[in-house]
Amino acid sequence: MGIINRGTIHLTVFALIVLTFPFWFEYTGGYAGLDTKIIIWAIFALGFDLLLITGYLSFGHAAFFGISAYATGLMLLHYSSNIIEAMIVGVVVSTIAAVIIGFLTLRRTGIYFSVLTLAFGEMFHTAAVSIFSGLTGGENGLTGLPTPTLFGEKMQGSNVFYLCAIFLIIGFYLARRITRSPFGLMLKSLKSNQTRLEYIGINVQFYKNSAFVLSSIYAAVAGSLMVIYEPYVATEFLEWKTSGTLVIMSVMGGVGTLFGPMIGAAFMLYFENVASVFLEEQWLLALGIMFMAIVVYLPGGFVDGYKRMMRHWVKKNQA
Amino acid sequence: MAILVVNNISKHFGGLQALFKVNISVEAGTTHSLIGPNGAGKSTLLNVLTGQIEPNEGSVVFKDRPLLNITPHKINQLGIARVFQTPAIFPEMVLLENVMAAVFASRDGAYKFNLLESRRHAQSVANFAIEILEQVGLQHKIRSEARFLSRGDKRRLELAICLAHKPSLLLLDEPTAGMARHETESTIELLRSISKKNMTIVIVEHDMNVVFALSDTITVLSQGQVIAEGIPDHVRGNPAVIEAYLGKEHA
Repeated sequence: MGIINRGTIHLTVFALIVLTFPFWFEYTGGYAGLDTKIIIWAIFALGFDLLLITGYLSFGHAAFFGISAYATGLMLLHYSSNIIEAMIVGVVVSTIAAVIIGFLTLRRTGIYFSVLTLAFGEMFHTAAVSIFSGLTGGENGLTGLPTPTLFGEKMQGSNVFYLCAIFLIIGFYLARRITRSPFGLMLKSLKSNQTRLEYIGINVQFYKNSAFVLSSIYAAVAGSLMVIYEPYVATEFLEWKTSGTLVIMSVMGGVGTLFGPMIGAAFMLYFENVASVFLEEQWLLALGIMFMAIVVYLPGGFVDGYKRMMRHWVKKNQA
Repeated sequence: MAILVVNNISKHFGGLQALFKVNISVEAGTTHSLIGPNGAGKSTLLNVLTGQIEPNEGSVVFKDRPLLNITPHKINQLGIARVFQTPAIFPEMVLLENVMAAVFASRDGAYKFNLLESRRHAQSVANFAIEILEQVGLQHKIRSEARFLSRGDKRRLELAICLAHKPSLLLLDEPTAGMARHETESTIELLRSISKKNMTIVIVEHDMNVVFALSDTITVLSQGQVIAEGIPDHVRGNPAVIEAYLGKEHA
């Protein structure tokens, strides 16, 4: 097959689309800055998919996004405006939280797991606006952050975009490798039949925890980048709404497909910011109707829709 | 030599005595059947062997190693594979992936953080998986999803998944339940070919045709106790067995 295989082509095309995003995005009605936000949410959604592959639906991933955002923000505010230390601390703190929360919540499956993660997420949110409000700025969020820098260079505008884009490309590459590894096969098997997986000699708990922590690392990177993109930490980062948005993005795009959730993220943010200009307050209603239609008629999301269209097209051409 | 020794196992669920001082010794390389009427404690015993149920007393020794109080995945890694009453497979995955998962589990152990290894380049794993699928007669379907298989083929796939580990003991819980006659017969043939490869097999089964076709030794359980044990011919004519199955007037 040589050096150029399908994986390389996919990755190259993906990287090109991401890197050229700002150039063609404005022709679709997007505005500068929204592209960066889309990339950040795509990282968040991509990582979330690594957990969804195992069949576990977390409603508390905002916690890891938010914890990392706060940690990054606090580092920028009190330590230095250099993003390297801030990001590392953000991701490490958030990952530690994920290890603990994963350990506690993954003992349950299905709805119980979802509710437990929701409860943990809300706990962090409540803590941030109450007992820790001295540290987090309470309801106002963390304000007055300096402009982040990298090697003396101010991280603004296209600098932030390309920083995020590089993280997304690396994140996509890794996620792809993971899903194509023996480890990824175990995650897939976990969703399919946990009992059988146990009875082929697999420590199911370890795999579940790993997937949970891996997905939360993506969430943490996204949370940290969000603060670099807009030097401000909003309390809503920790709120259940953030987790809910992530779930909606993933379902609309296509769970377990890697591409799907990223497309879902792009679609939703675009819709929220661009379509709401002419739909005004009704955009949420329109989004709700679309979401329902997708769940009912296209449970595999946009990616499934695309595959069906391609199959239809191939059939038609063969006939 | 005995590969599996069950010593004085008792288990009660509340007031119900599911197993009472059960002693069984399974010889290596033989096929050993556990039979008995409904509620005799056969499935409970299998669950004790695979770590799902903890007995109230007694011990289980597998290859000179105590087997109680360890988790199912560790028991599996020791070389005991189990086939369930309803085939436990990975329905949404293709056959090759089903078996490859088991081969990886056998190669890598209970957990390995091999995130970046390519499955596609694990040729030896895939080849071995295909070899096993050939052994159970599913080589033509390796690319189809497991959920589309017939009941009999699902059972074959489950056997393939179990064989991927090269287990030294195979536990089968009613392997022909819910199968049509021709499927039952081909499953008997398959099990026979597996047992010829020096595999120790323990079968729980209701279908006496299957039991007598395959067994070297039969243990009869009734109401949680062993009431007879021996070679098939010996068990067949045993009055206690006939009584347990058919009632006193037939014995």
